[in-house]
Amino acid sequence: MKRFLNFFVVFFVLTVFVSTGMAQKPAEQKAQEQKPVEAPKEAQSAETVTVSVDKTNLSGGGKLTITGKAPAGKDVYIEVWAEKTIRAARLDADPDPKTGKRPYIFYMTDDMPAFYRLIVPEKYKPVLEDAKAKGGKWSVSEVIKNAGADAVYGYPAKLKIDRYQTSLWASIIGSRGTKLEPMDEKENKRRSMQLLKARFRSVGNVFSSNLKIAEDGTFKATVEIPANTAPGKYFVVAKVDKDIKSEPVIVENSVTFPSVYLPNAGRTVNVIWPFLLTAAITTFGVLMGAGGGFILNPILVMLGLPHTVVAGTVMPTVLFSQGTGIYNYSKINFINWKLGVTLGLAMLAGGFIGPKLTELITLDQYKFLFGWVLIILAALMFWQTTPKYLEKNKKEQAILKEFQKRAQEAAKKKAEGGK
Amino acid sequence: MKIEFWGQEFKVNLAIGIPGAFLIAIASSMFGFGGGPFMVPLMAVGLRLPMYVIVGSSLLAIFFNTLMGTFRHYGFGNFDLIFFLIMFPAAILGGYIGPKIAKKLNPVMVKRVACIGLLILALQLLGIF
Repeated sequence: MKRFLNFFVVFFVLTVFVSTGMAQKPAEQKAQEQKPVEAPKEAQSAETVTVSVDKTNLSGGGKLTITGKAPAGKDVYIEVWAEKTIRAARLDADPDPKTGKRPYIFYMTDDMPAFYRLIVPEKYKPVLEDAKAKGGKWSVSEVIKNAGADAVYGYPAKLKIDRYQTSLWASIIGSRGTKLEPMDEKENKRRSMQLLKARFRSVGNVFSSNLKIAEDGTFKATVEIPANTAPGKYFVVAKVDKDIKSEPVIVENSVTFPSVYLPNAGRTVNVIWPFLLTAAITTFGVLMGAGGGFILNPILVMLGLPHTVVAGTVMPTVLFSQGTGIYNYSKINFINWKLGVTLGLAMLAGGFIGPKLTELITLDQYKFLFGWVLIILAALMFWQTTPKYLEKNKKEQAILKEFQKRAQEAAKKKAEGGK
Repeated sequence: MKIEFWGQEFKVNLAIGIPGAFLIAIASSMFGFGGGPFMVPLMAVGLRLPMYVIVGSSLLAIFFNTLMGTFRHYGFGNFDLIFFLIMFPAAILGGYIGPKIAKKLNPVMVKRVACIGLLILALQLLGIF
């Protein structure tokens, strides 16, 4: 009984401790949060922008209507971004226009919002159309400049971007290279635009011109939060200038099962589809005598998942089946360890370098190289259906079966002998 | 290098085997697949080994690559746990269904279908199709 009492006393004290600690924290946070709210009051005497949204809760994305009022006769821009962040990376290997040298600097951030949209006034629609017409060669900075949005491009400009001086040697030893000094504000802004493109790829995924401004300064915009984007808070800010801007409006997006958010891929998916796809392709993979990764990876990449995450997540899924395969073959003594380990060590070295390269290449390069890998594989498959190969294979398969039978018998005998 | 397999002795040309395995490992860990369909032809044609020697040992060699590739991808932050948890049971299910259907199908037909499917996929990746 005494022990119980002691336990209760300790438990009680702990509960009090924890709850008071918890109660204090929000109070501190509130005090901090209140400070910045006061600042715009002073500015209110000058020009202000107000903004509101038609709903503050979304479920699995949806259409948001943004309305507000800005000083009459001025261009208004709206930035919308998600609280959830993802990684964006880019290797700068473009030759310097003056010296012709390739810089080989690797830029990377883990703070890229999972969703970003800069809504420009409707009159700049032709700017977006021009950029779209350029295909893969469009640039974020050019659109921002031509749409007069240089002063209002705000949130991504302040991303914390790391940069590394990489080299061939660094790639071989599997490092990202030497980390360079942080960039100044202007350079950070410029690089953030390149990373936006590297991550979101198309003009329509970064910009929209769905913003009508009336003569009296009221404006109305719509933005579609896609179903496959992140859950959590979304921030909406209307801006006229760097300093004349509204307070952020917060919209909460929720995602419910069977949809789940893949935090590293930065996407919401319905679990049923990747499950069925993987099951179907691995089944087919067994039939054609190759792992499913060859078909699964390109399809996942085409569905819009980042190639780094696809490569990094499909690989561990086959680890288990390979392990069971090795176990089954070793049971019937069908593995030559000397051969397997010798070639395995060479592959160990290769496996060290490969994943580094995944990070360095762009999605287009990934698709191009993978395309050729698949053509080679198709040629190998074709060769395996030629009559000459089949004849040879028939004999070998017969020997293989004979060996397996003998091996199994031997294993059986051994097991019986052991008893 | 000389190896022994069930009483038979084979010579393995490491000058082909090691660089070949190394390059296949780079490509496969870069794109995130196993590498088996390339290792088997390398060992069959390049090293002139019979199929019964290859099946088990190639799997062991690939396992080294997959293991290292997994750790490296994880280290670079390319691994998505939730995505893995969706695909992993599906892959096991596929590995269970596959062999059951395999007995009922003509392997040559399957390979021809795969060949066409791979070509279509390749052309799509290259942006031609």
